[in-house]
Amino acid sequence: MPLAAASAAGCSVPRRAPGEVALWFSYGGNNRKVLLELVARFHREQTRVKVLPTFQGDYFEGLIKLRTGLFVGRAPTLTHVVGEVVPYLAAAGVLEPIDAVGDEVLNDLEPALSQTGTFEGAANEPLVCLPFNRSTPIAYMNRPLFDTLGLAPPATWEELRAVAKRASDEGAAGKKRWGFECPVDWWFWSALVAQAGGAIITPAGEVELGGEAGVEALTLWRDMVKVERTMKPPPGRDYNAWEATNSDFLAGRAAMIWTSTAFLRYLEDNAPFAVLAAPLPAHRMKGVPTGGTFFVMPRGLGQDERQAGLTFLRWMMQPEQANEWATKTGYLPVSRRGRRDLERAGFFEKHPNFRVAIDQLAHARRWPWHRELFRIQREIVQPRLEAAVLGDAAPATVLAEARELKAG
Amino acid sequence: MRTGLISPSRAWHPLLLLLPTLLVLGVFIVYPLFLAGYRSLFAWDLLTPPSFVGLANYRALAHSGELLRIAGRTLAFSTVVVLFASVLGLALAVLLNREGRLFAFVRGAIFSAYVVSWVAVALLWLWLLDGQGGLVSRLFITAGFAPRDWLGDPDIVLFTLAGVTVWKITGYAMVVFLAGLQDMPRSLLEAAALDGASPAQTFTRIVWPVLRPTAAFVGTTSLIASFQAFDVVRVMTQGGPVRASTIFVYAIYEEVFMNLRVGRASALVVVFFGLLVLLTGLQLWAWRAASRGRVAS
Repeated sequence: MPLAAASAAGCSVPRRAPGEVALWFSYGGNNRKVLLELVARFHREQTRVKVLPTFQGDYFEGLIKLRTGLFVGRAPTLTHVVGEVVPYLAAAGVLEPIDAVGDEVLNDLEPALSQTGTFEGAANEPLVCLPFNRSTPIAYMNRPLFDTLGLAPPATWEELRAVAKRASDEGAAGKKRWGFECPVDWWFWSALVAQAGGAIITPAGEVELGGEAGVEALTLWRDMVKVERTMKPPPGRDYNAWEATNSDFLAGRAAMIWTSTAFLRYLEDNAPFAVLAAPLPAHRMKGVPTGGTFFVMPRGLGQDERQAGLTFLRWMMQPEQANEWATKTGYLPVSRRGRRDLERAGFFEKHPNFRVAIDQLAHARRWPWHRELFRIQREIVQPRLEAAVLGDAAPATVLAEARELKAG
Repeated sequence: MRTGLISPSRAWHPLLLLLPTLLVLGVFIVYPLFLAGYRSLFAWDLLTPPSFVGLANYRALAHSGELLRIAGRTLAFSTVVVLFASVLGLALAVLLNREGRLFAFVRGAIFSAYVVSWVAVALLWLWLLDGQGGLVSRLFITAGFAPRDWLGDPDIVLFTLAGVTVWKITGYAMVVFLAGLQDMPRSLLEAAALDGASPAQTFTRIVWPVLRPTAAFVGTTSLIASFQAFDVVRVMTQGGPVRASTIFVYAIYEEVFMNLRVGRASALVVVFFGLLVLLTGLQLWAWRAASRGRVAS
């Protein structure tokens, strides 16, 4: 019994002063600044609810702290977690249903980015999360360099290989510039698998890891890293690797990178050159995963605190706030009305890079959410991707091993 | 002479004096260790109730080969760290055991690495070891060697981290050896010089026998420091690539905090503790055997 389980584990949430909302967040850099500006504006517009935002490290560190907070009865009023973790937390019974946020908000959410239809085999799962910073991976290019070399954003895998080769610069003493850089990470691999026509997890919940498409995706990376030497796998794991990718792009050490649309504004503002964004290439078809996080509310809050949390959520989900967040960061606008407002105002004509992720949504694959999703990701698949791309293991072998482990 | 001065007036007085230490050790070392042993028999993620799984956590670690790989990496890392930190520390101590401001400055400069925080050291070396623009890579290329991906190549990353650790703790080994050297009676060295002993003979016959207990101390503390290595892994590689730098403490952190497996992390703690007890026992045995050998001769 999940709720009893949560209570047994000490999942009670402390009472806070009336109207106080503890918000734990994992946004760093520019995105953190934008969130704090939004909170400050919320406080200027009303005085009934006071939001206390606390930075809790990256998504995984934030999850550790949330879990510990739940265990010791010190969970926040609101926080945000990556989609893959929502089914795990929901199954543990530690999430409060939040449909009380109201139909006005719920009917306005972009369906491709919200909880609707995500839980595997449970269409009537209660609403436990609201999308806010949602993303897809996109390609970023050094525009003046591409212009000089006469290159266009690659639209196929073959073009990706050719462009990466053309944009690489060997230099006299070692690699001066890599044509392509991308973290050897589950998220980007799942984009390649989708493009090769495979599914990591079927809608029926079977863990296929892409089948032949999974092998093909790994082989592409492996060849680019080891044979063609045009792709740099950044050092570090998880978000350390993502940060290293951004740094290399900004420093001109990588001509083209794949990373989240979340970094669009950051990269545009900090690159000493014009940044060109483009959709990921297709292979047999187009395909990308969605990513980013959802707001969740831990179970066990007092009525007042719950209402205060919902008040803040309602405000954040309004088109104006959702748009401010999206246009100042690069995340996808989650409000449909908000997106129409942006289109009417000509925002995307002025900022075509912001259009890329939105257009890609038409080809987005949603994860079937089941409890083991994040374990499959972190424990079974992620280490094996590295073994195939950076180590000596054969892609087909590591994926077969991963499938066996999951089956076992 | 009244022996009562050093005898307790009540038999339980010594126990009373020991109590604070026993309490601290009990609460912070013994109890958590037993708790880890108990938890290692459960599958638990902190959110749902623990379920008893017997030795399944140990079996899972052993069956996957992960336990052996982690132990192997940790031992390889520790061997490099203990060996190089001790030898370099001793060499530097012998070289710098001289009067003068320049030597004092060099000694201070080398020791300064030891007092800098691990995170700062790791960040500094992240820049120095950057495969494309880092100073180490540039020097390597200038010297005519092929460029290496110090932190991205699974074959060398563990030794790169060991090198950074050696850089950080060698200053400590040097200072301890210097203290040992400065405790050495000058008359011994003067007698050796009068007898016409060469520098090599002076070192092997006089300096090294006097420094042997110091070396044992440096070896033990370096071993402990190397087994506790965490920050350097967390900041520089996060255990990668391909888990090639996942050593014990980081593996425990990863299981409990990243994979949400308290039981499996506890099993790792128990095995880690056993390994440390075994190594410490071996070290003590070797030390005592060497001491007995010296007394007998």
